[in-house]
Amino acid sequence: MEEIENNGIVSLIIDGKICTAKEGEYILNVARANSIFIPAICYLTRCSPTLACRICLVEADGKRVYACNAKVKDGMNVVVSNEEILEERKAIMQVYDVNHPLQCGVCDQSGSCELQNYTLEIGVDEQPYRIADVQRESSNWSSVLHYDPALCIVCERCVTVCKDMIGDSALTTGPRGGEGLDKELKDTMPKDAYSMWNKLQKSVIAPSNETDQTNCSDCGECIAVCPVGALVSRDFVYTANSWELTKVPATCAHCSSGCQIYYETKPTSIANRYEKIYRVTNEWNYVSLCGAGRFGYDFENRTASKDANALKDAVVAIKKADAIRFNSVITNEEALMLQTLKEKLGVKLINNDAKAFKDFMTYFANAKGSTLSNGNIRTMMQESDFIISVGSALRNDNPNVRYLFNNIQKLNKGAGLYFHPIGDKVIENLGKNVACIENKINSEEAVLYWILDNFADKEKLPAEVKDYLASLSTTTKKTISETVMEDVVETVVDEATGESKEVTKKVPKKVDKEIEVNKSKLLEIFGAPSDFADTIEKFLAKKENFSLVVGEDLYFHPRSKNLAILVALIESTTPFNIAIIPPKTNSLGVSLICDLDDECSGYVIGYNEVGDFRLSALGDGDLDMPAMNQQEGTLTNMHKRVVPTNAALSYNGYILNDILNELGMGERLTIDWTKELPVKEGFEAREFDSLPNGYNNDGSENRGYGLKSQKVKATESLPKEISSNEMSADVMAYRCNPQRQFNEFTATAHQIFEPFALYASEEKASELGSRVAIDLDGTEFVLDVKIDDRMSGDIVKLPDFKHSFEIYKFFGQNRFKSISIRKA
Amino acid sequence: MAHIEEHKDTQAIQREKQNYIMLDLGKTPQFGIPAFIQVVKRSLSRELLKGLGVTFREMINALFKGKLHTTQYPFEKLPIAPRYRAIHEMLRLLESGHYRCIGCGLCEKICISNCIAMETRYDENQRKEVSEYTINFGRCIFCGYCAEVCPELAIVHGGRYENASEQRAGFSLFEDMLTPIDKLKEQNEFAGFGSISPNADENIKKTPLAY
Amino acid sequence: MDALTIGTIIKILIILAIVSAIAGFGTYIERKVLAFMQRRLGPMHVGPYGLLQIAADGIKLFTKEDIIPQNANKFIFSLAPVITAATAFIAMAALPLFPTFTIPEFLPLIGGAIVPSIVADINIGILFILGIMAAGLYGPLLAGMAQSNKWGIIGSARTAVQFLSYEVVTGLSVLAPIMLVGSLSLIDFNDAQASGIGSWLIWQQPIAFVLFLIAGFAETNRTPFDLLEHEAEIISGYVTEYSGLRWGMFFIGEYANMITISVIAAVVFCGGYNDLWFISGWLLFVLKVIFFFFLMLWVRAAWPHVRPDQMMWLCWKVLMPLAVINIVITGIVVML
Repeated sequence: MEEIENNGIVSLIIDGKICTAKEGEYILNVARANSIFIPAICYLTRCSPTLACRICLVEADGKRVYACNAKVKDGMNVVVSNEEILEERKAIMQVYDVNHPLQCGVCDQSGSCELQNYTLEIGVDEQPYRIADVQRESSNWSSVLHYDPALCIVCERCVTVCKDMIGDSALTTGPRGGEGLDKELKDTMPKDAYSMWNKLQKSVIAPSNETDQTNCSDCGECIAVCPVGALVSRDFVYTANSWELTKVPATCAHCSSGCQIYYETKPTSIANRYEKIYRVTNEWNYVSLCGAGRFGYDFENRTASKDANALKDAVVAIKKADAIRFNSVITNEEALMLQTLKEKLGVKLINNDAKAFKDFMTYFANAKGSTLSNGNIRTMMQESDFIISVGSALRNDNPNVRYLFNNIQKLNKGAGLYFHPIGDKVIENLGKNVACIENKINSEEAVLYWILDNFADKEKLPAEVKDYLASLSTTTKKTISETVMEDVVETVVDEATGESKEVTKKVPKKVDKEIEVNKSKLLEIFGAPSDFADTIEKFLAKKENFSLVVGEDLYFHPRSKNLAILVALIESTTPFNIAIIPPKTNSLGVSLICDLDDECSGYVIGYNEVGDFRLSALGDGDLDMPAMNQQEGTLTNMHKRVVPTNAALSYNGYILNDILNELGMGERLTIDWTKELPVKEGFEAREFDSLPNGYNNDGSENRGYGLKSQKVKATESLPKEISSNEMSADVMAYRCNPQRQFNEFTATAHQIFEPFALYASEEKASELGSRVAIDLDGTEFVLDVKIDDRMSGDIVKLPDFKHSFEIYKFFGQNRFKSISIRKA
Repeated sequence: MAHIEEHKDTQAIQREKQNYIMLDLGKTPQFGIPAFIQVVKRSLSRELLKGLGVTFREMINALFKGKLHTTQYPFEKLPIAPRYRAIHEMLRLLESGHYRCIGCGLCEKICISNCIAMETRYDENQRKEVSEYTINFGRCIFCGYCAEVCPELAIVHGGRYENASEQRAGFSLFEDMLTPIDKLKEQNEFAGFGSISPNADENIKKTPLAY
Repeated sequence: MDALTIGTIIKILIILAIVSAIAGFGTYIERKVLAFMQRRLGPMHVGPYGLLQIAADGIKLFTKEDIIPQNANKFIFSLAPVITAATAFIAMAALPLFPTFTIPEFLPLIGGAIVPSIVADINIGILFILGIMAAGLYGPLLAGMAQSNKWGIIGSARTAVQFLSYEVVTGLSVLAPIMLVGSLSLIDFNDAQASGIGSWLIWQQPIAFVLFLIAGFAETNRTPFDLLEHEAEIISGYVTEYSGLRWGMFFIGEYANMITISVIAAVVFCGGYNDLWFISGWLLFVLKVIFFFFLMLWVRAAWPHVRPDQMMWLCWKVLMPLAVINIVITGIVVML
């Protein structure tokens, strides 16, 4: 790793403009942040340079460098274009145009094609080069990917993004079988163009598993980054042109990432002029989507109509209701409306995911003295080089945190620890400095104590905690003798790191013996592998910026209160930046806005949930509600930002605000509620229309506004001791949705295929058979068993995305449950 | 018909430079005796009778010599210019008979009255297939941009100018405009807006593709 | 009732039916003649050579919605076309139109009835006709004033000016032949010209003939004096607000008046219905009338129309003095 000075800011001149930048940044990124145009095809802002296109050639202090991988130096003078460079670029574009099909008319990318753009921008008006073409057949790589190698310019952006951002590394370059270049060209044509062509002529893109099908999470990010029409979604191919589609900026409402997306709409057909979403696109330089975000877009409530009788019934039902049950796939405005109903009518609010999260956040705030954690996932992605994830099935719960986890490995040369009872083969392979620790079920307290023990500034730790940690070290002294030596080395390192600079010095051997045992006890509790200490030592070498992400397992935990206090303690005593991932889309917003109640009996209104009277955006309720792509509003995402979303499709029915208007408590429009969001919880009193939804050139988010952390009285800041919550059964079930499946809306989308089934690792699945009956506290479900070949271990995953199964009810305050299974 | 031939002649004549002859009208007297004298002069100089003579002569010509200009329109039609921009035609490839349209959507994009709509899909031959195509002739202003922008010379203007209808919106479907397959031999290249210029070959820069 | 009374009633019916038809047919002839003179075909498609065009137009006029403008004087608005049509036909009561004939005895009821050539052979025929025609000016005048339309008002103003002015010229121009014949009866005019072409009054009174023709054009509102409803200037003048049957009545009136003027010109100046050599007088008479009718169409095809001021100038400064001089000279000649 390069030496980085603290706050090393350099200034340089690019294309005559004085720019300041952080030392170590690439010239291209600095230019982009300062709105200076340097042509570049293969480079992606948040990924490592590929050096495939070589078109970003610039002259830095008289030397020819590639802007995408040359780092800035103080006082550097970068010339973006001179005659020589232009000639080189022109030759490169001429080479790219060799044998590229001229049927732009039928290409899906036409109109937004970078090859078209650069060909025109650089002014290719003749074609001096030629080579025999090879037959390249188009093929389908997966249920969503369609690849046409004839159009491919092998910029390798798809390969890069899949490796550096997504982490699947499902794509690679394969042999093209093209003719070799004429050797004479080497002397006659510009150097970079020649070498680019030489490489281009040898390769195409192919799945990396040497089959013709990719084994990936079907996120479609490769489609997004493809500059030409080579990679297109199977559903979209040849159905629309980019210029016909209306881009509606919105926020993805499937998980708590709240990614910025564009719904691209066009009338359904000539006969049916109702708008339809044709695809979802994103600002792929600044945000990456998951498969649910990209392909799960057609969940709108199509059949809704203004049924006045149903509205009347709804009003009657709400007046007599004891409770409203809802989930967190709603906007802040809707949450505020429900809270208003509660305040005015005294109806109870039941929300399973948000309730647990709210409790956790309340404990956290009471321990910390203020709401919200300090960590920011976007900054972590740029700066962090050591990440620990606790209590979250990253691949399923929040793909964007998984991208963060991966990006830290790939770009920041970092290391990562993934604590989860269920092993994950994808996470495991994200980098060589990644360890998946299959901790024991409900042993997260021990993990957090271990973090405290190893990273906390001992002086800041409360005496009680210090004593407790010490007691743990003493009590289990006898355990392992062989590992003692290694352990010692490690813990000493930890001691030294208490302040800020941790990992640089070697530790005298003397200290070893004392603390060796402390480790082993905690390690034993959460079930660390035997070489854990070695691994940690290796991982921590030269690491400076620590991140901790905690997930849903901690909120649905018998000891969630203690966990919350521990997380708060870690934040205040260790160098970790902490991100707390809300379990569902808007759990954070709902938990801030609504006073939630426990389950109760009586007459219940279900909003997208079970109930005696059902409001539903799925078209199956007593009164229709708009789906997320049919309504305006704001969402509070895991970046602690309140971001706006817009209606991409028309909606013909009644909305929640109409019900409130019938009751005399409504506003004129739903978005009039935006400025009413509670300021004392950290919201701002801002009009919806004033909320931006985009990114700045330097990649910073210009979306909505950030929540403000609020001071509260610190009441309970001391963690309790670890208590054993071991669970054992022949089959343990984990409440977890399959990847690309988050809620009933993704389940409605026609390009999301993952069914509601029992997911198990290959071995477990073969043991269970293809269909099983599950007994959940006396209720029996018969479910298919699906293989999730990226899982390992014996625990099975039971999804919760279908409300009618009421999975939350059975699992209660725990994500794990022992179940009994028999073959069906 | 004689008058149709004559129409063609007139078109030929119109191409030549026209000679205007200015009449010498003299001064118009404003008042009194001179004005009176002029009236008498004109009245008695058989000018009025000349007018009657001309009209009578033309009537005789019309009645007995068949010198009539009337085209009895729906029964007789004048030939129209090859560049005339009336109802569109969708042409076929002469060799294969397959329709030329590739579904690029440029006509749809450029249409300033927004009257073209099309649907495309991925067909079983892995090609882009035009599944639906309509032009709303209630909105079309026959500007010719669609024909000009078409990269395949697939959509052109035809000579069918009778598009009165009982409804404001008049949709034509792809099949209505497509050259019938049995009339493929009669399909003519459009000479107007968007067609290839006569010297197109001279404007093309040659690319080395001879391998 | 005696045979003559029945015959007179039959004659009235014949005039009403046939002249109305001829008036309608006149429009067809006019369109055809104008078309030929302009090298066109005119109506062609309704019936053979477009003959049924008048029927089509008639059906159209009769079935059109009857619209009376909101602010019009409804009574006068409805009355005005009736005045025009009625006066046109009343004038015909004193005109010889067909030869006298007797209906064969074998026909029931009307058998033996004598149908006279003139409905009412009054001894002041020409005076009666001119008077009734002058009364006809109330039609356009009231129509224009009743419809509460600015173009209508202008049209009716022009009506008043034009008809009143040219009434003078008509009267004065016919006065000279009357002086020569010494009677106001049209029969007497006819009889006075019985002895061949040489006896036609046109030779003795050429100026009176020309003046009468000019004034006749103006009286019937024909080009070049069609100022009452000149489209280019005042939309449709006094008929601007009329449509359908009421509008049709104005036109029947106009064409009936054209026939009246043509008949007067034929009887007073061109030898009436006297036989000429071996040719039947009545056939000749019809041909004469047709010629004058045709002349009106011919002129319309050939000549432009004049301005209102030119028309008044022509009337009062040229035609009227000429007519007076003509009368004086005629008087002197008669005296001698």
